[in-house]
Amino acid sequence: MFLPDKVTGLFLVGLGAASMYGGSLLPPVPGQQVGPNVFPMVVGGGLILCGALISLGVGSALEKEAEADLAAHSDQQEVKAGTPLVDAFKTLLPPLLLLTYVMIGDRLGFVVCAFGIVLSVSLAMGARLKLALPLALIAPVIVHLIFLKLLRVPLPPGILPMPW
Amino acid sequence: MTATLIEAFRLVLAPDVLLAILLSSIYGLMVGSLPGLSATMATALLVPVTFYLSPIAAVATIISASAMAIFSGDIPGALLRIPGTPASAAYTDEAYAYTRKGEPEIALGICVWFSAIGGIIGTLSLMILAPPLAEMALNFSTFEYFWLACLGLMCATMVARSNPVKAIASMLLGLLVSCIGIENPAGTPRFTFGSTDLLGGIEVIPALVGVFALSEVMRGMTQPEPPKLPPRRFGSILKGMWTLTKQYPWPQVRGNIVGIIIGVLPGAGADMAAWVSYSMSKRFSKTPEKFGTGHPEGLIEAGASNNASLASGWVPSLLFGIPGDTITAIAIGVLYMKGLNPGPSLFTEKASSMYALYIIFILANFLMIPLGIIMIRLASKLLSAPRSAIMPVIVLLCGVGSFATGNNSFLIVTVAVFGLIGFVMERNGYPVAAMVLGIVMGTMVEQSFITSLIKSDGSLWPFFSRPVASILAALTIAAVLWPVAYWAWGKARTVGAARSA
Repeated sequence: MFLPDKVTGLFLVGLGAASMYGGSLLPPVPGQQVGPNVFPMVVGGGLILCGALISLGVGSALEKEAEADLAAHSDQQEVKAGTPLVDAFKTLLPPLLLLTYVMIGDRLGFVVCAFGIVLSVSLAMGARLKLALPLALIAPVIVHLIFLKLLRVPLPPGILPMPW
Repeated sequence: MTATLIEAFRLVLAPDVLLAILLSSIYGLMVGSLPGLSATMATALLVPVTFYLSPIAAVATIISASAMAIFSGDIPGALLRIPGTPASAAYTDEAYAYTRKGEPEIALGICVWFSAIGGIIGTLSLMILAPPLAEMALNFSTFEYFWLACLGLMCATMVARSNPVKAIASMLLGLLVSCIGIENPAGTPRFTFGSTDLLGGIEVIPALVGVFALSEVMRGMTQPEPPKLPPRRFGSILKGMWTLTKQYPWPQVRGNIVGIIIGVLPGAGADMAAWVSYSMSKRFSKTPEKFGTGHPEGLIEAGASNNASLASGWVPSLLFGIPGDTITAIAIGVLYMKGLNPGPSLFTEKASSMYALYIIFILANFLMIPLGIIMIRLASKLLSAPRSAIMPVIVLLCGVGSFATGNNSFLIVTVAVFGLIGFVMERNGYPVAAMVLGIVMGTMVEQSFITSLIKSDGSLWPFFSRPVASILAALTIAAVLWPVAYWAWGKARTVGAARSA
């Protein structure tokens, strides 16, 4: 998800403008000169300025220097050259799994969902089934035991309630 | 004083606190030594557990886990040339050169020994600096707090090892995030888009877990497994360390002082301290040509520096609630949660807790030597744990841990969204630490800004007329203008070069 500075800079300009507009819509506090609108507008103005400077390429030389420094001092692990689509899917997998859990966690329960999360992340990272399956069976149960029993976090029981 | 000290010892020597120190030390050593898992991530994942501990035990877990993780990041750096935490990256080459020469025990010995000394000296600086500063800070009004917070935010952007404009943009993004919700001086819902979940604002801890832990997992998804460590028998780890201590007094003093200063600067933490110290060591050395070939000087200086910065990072955090680095940004959240609200009055009203904190720091750094040696000896076994077995469990802990901080599934959404934001930002050169600082300090900046404006009846003059405020204002403005000056200087140089060519 590498984007050119022009794109990220212009995105920040847009975000800053939205923040200023959103701020300007906020109602003032009667009898006071400064209200809740001031801060978002100041921040929005700053974002517009920074976004514009970034899209003009200000300061990018310094960034390259720092990167070269790091590369010279250690073996940074190279990103494997996989197909871009597969890589993008793998990268997005952890947040997607968490969002799925939010949607179906109450119905299916923690242990079942956690089994799915651990198994899919582990397989996506290239683990063999021999490792991924036992891990996905054991880890959720231990996490459930610790969080529900010791820390008293109300994890949803769902279709597979645990005996504790 | 004596009574306070006795009370502090009583607090620390409670069985739950001692157990918390031991367990979190082991946890910190293990997480720090795994490449790709940083000390900040180790700390962020611990926060949900601290919910259920006593205040002192909670702070103890954060202190010991972070100190151990910063040291143990040196282990894979020395043995595999892959730094375990970013704080070890500056001197990984030097440490690995020792391994190539067949003397990894010397490099690891230097790392553990001088890290522990650096940590203890950093703690002494915290003990010496904090009380007089607290006394001064008691006289501060909202005007000073406003400039102090601004200066803190600007420091974080100035010292980021990246493009300063991008760092300022990240910080502003953090401030914008802190605008969400009704936590503003007027209590008006802002940017909530009608969602009741957003009314309370973005919770800091799930956001931190997302930015520091989940985004690291996302990066790890497409990276290959680190190479396996060959089983190796180590000689004596601490042999010769005393001789080195006597041989290189100046690098130690310099490393500790630089570490302390960088630690105190808001937002700049252990990794920055290590980079600055390593390059300083090379510049001042009588034998700079030996650097990179397995020479102790730079290792001693940088290894001491990053651990010294850890303790001094607590100075602005405890006094003003301004995080000294990303780890203390998390610690501040824990302090608030446990009723130890940062501020100068902490040193007068809860003096015994503060002494307890110092004792924990010293204890953790002493403990680092034996535990660190055990960790080094077990390294080849522990480092062989496949990444594909660790990362899935971390994803699970990110979700459950954040849920546990408020028993609300919206917190898991926060983790996922901030994981994505952190990943995209890091990939495009926007330092996430600056954003985190913005999120943590946003409310404080706004509160002090609005309250000051109300007090001054809308006039900006009192912001500059009070003596301390005027100094802080001048420093802040200089920090804002720095990137502009740098850019103009660079432009002038290229134009000059083009003309002379």
